[in-house]
Amino acid sequence: MAVPLFLNTLEQSGLSTWLRESPSVFGFYFILVFHTIGLALVVGPNTAIDLRLLGVAAGIPLPPLRSWFKLMWLGLAINVTSGIFLVLAYPSKAFTNPDFYIKLTLIGFAVWTLRKIKRQVFDDSSLSEAAISARGKMLAVWSLVLWAGVITAGRLLAYTCSYLVYGVPC
Amino acid sequence: MAFPVRTFSMDFPHLHLLLNHFPIIGTMVGVGLFLISFLVKTEEVGRSSLIVFVGMALLTIPAFMTGVGAQEKMVADPSVSNALIQRHEGAAELAVWFMEITGALAVLALWQSARRASPAPWNTSAILVFSLVTVGLMVRTGNTGGEIRHLEVRSAQEGTAAEATMAYFEPSPAKFTRLMVVNKWWWAFMMDLHFVGLVLLIGTIGMLNLRVLGFGKQLPIAPLNKLVPWGIAGFGINVLTGLLAFIGMPTFYTHDIAFVLKIGAILLAVTTMGLFYLTSAFRDCEAVGPGENAPLRARFIAGTSLFLWFAVIVLGRYIQPLQDSIAR
Repeated sequence: MAVPLFLNTLEQSGLSTWLRESPSVFGFYFILVFHTIGLALVVGPNTAIDLRLLGVAAGIPLPPLRSWFKLMWLGLAINVTSGIFLVLAYPSKAFTNPDFYIKLTLIGFAVWTLRKIKRQVFDDSSLSEAAISARGKMLAVWSLVLWAGVITAGRLLAYTCSYLVYGVPC
Repeated sequence: MAFPVRTFSMDFPHLHLLLNHFPIIGTMVGVGLFLISFLVKTEEVGRSSLIVFVGMALLTIPAFMTGVGAQEKMVADPSVSNALIQRHEGAAELAVWFMEITGALAVLALWQSARRASPAPWNTSAILVFSLVTVGLMVRTGNTGGEIRHLEVRSAQEGTAAEATMAYFEPSPAKFTRLMVVNKWWWAFMMDLHFVGLVLLIGTIGMLNLRVLGFGKQLPIAPLNKLVPWGIAGFGINVLTGLLAFIGMPTFYTHDIAFVLKIGAILLAVTTMGLFYLTSAFRDCEAVGPGENAPLRARFIAGTSLFLWFAVIVLGRYIQPLQDSIAR
């Protein structure tokens, strides 16, 4: 399959070139730092909430955990933004790698699961603790599995590629 | 793409000498205290020995890592035998694991004894066995290290049966290094686990720290603490995968200022956690209910801890572009 030409156009743009080639400390790796901090803010608290739903630290009351969702959405915003810049730096590399699509799909499902947890477990204040945890357990397992998948797919992006830049195979 | 940063210089041989006596003497002191705690049934003595083990397990990490830089400086001297250095490195690569296991068991015992009067009996036996083996292996590491420079202490111990047995279990540094990097999927797997460990650590310990600082104040602090063992487990995963990665690319990491600073930040972050639990900061926090503020001291410790763990993440990310930032 031919690599679409617009990826080359994108890659030749000033911003993409700067992100890729700048020796500045604020270039590519700076974006990568934000991507990792975002990961910590989204998946960190989500993991803690999943563990709680699975029965770890059962003494933690569920309703006040709601305020942590704001932090997770902030982390997600950081990662969507930094993610776009990372793709902009190496568009051909990202879009020609099947693992990239796997990662995006898994993120979609993981965020969807997080929203489901928010709605089904935290937004329904009429539910008893027992009913909440019955609903929450399955979602928590899926959440953990999906985020582990996201991290794995993300890490694998560093070790897999078809093209480094347009027309240059890895 | 390397950054145009200035090249730093570090005196690894000096640092190695400064650090390498702690794991040997310290572990002996730990074993001494541990044994005394069986005779005088004071909780404090037992706890002290466990804290010493944890501290030594941590100090062993930089002691081990500075050895690589020390070796590079020393092999330049033709009067130094590289074979002796290799033997010392092999001895260290065996001792390190027993030290880290002892440290992990000691953390577990400290956690267990915070709730009950004493740690689980199986753990007490395990710590006894592992700390004694660690002392033996550390002494051997010290001996083989001393023999590199000190002709006068070189003995004919190579011939003994005990030494032959030890040598059998001892990893060959070059083979160990190759084993870590020969397959890129193994490396990718280790790095994957390193990120899983990061998430566990920051998700649980970070959450506790943030709450102590005042975020999500409707949560009581005490039950959050039950999440911390998962964070410690994440830290354990990362010590394991991090040490294996270092063994895989020792010269790469040695000449990297981001890596050196990262190790420093990790040691400080763990020390901060130690301060939280060993001072009254944690006990003060346990009484903090929904909507209440934690005492100022606890907030100060939590803020420092959070800052340091994020510094660890940032520095870790800059390892790759800052390679060769420390002069060879």
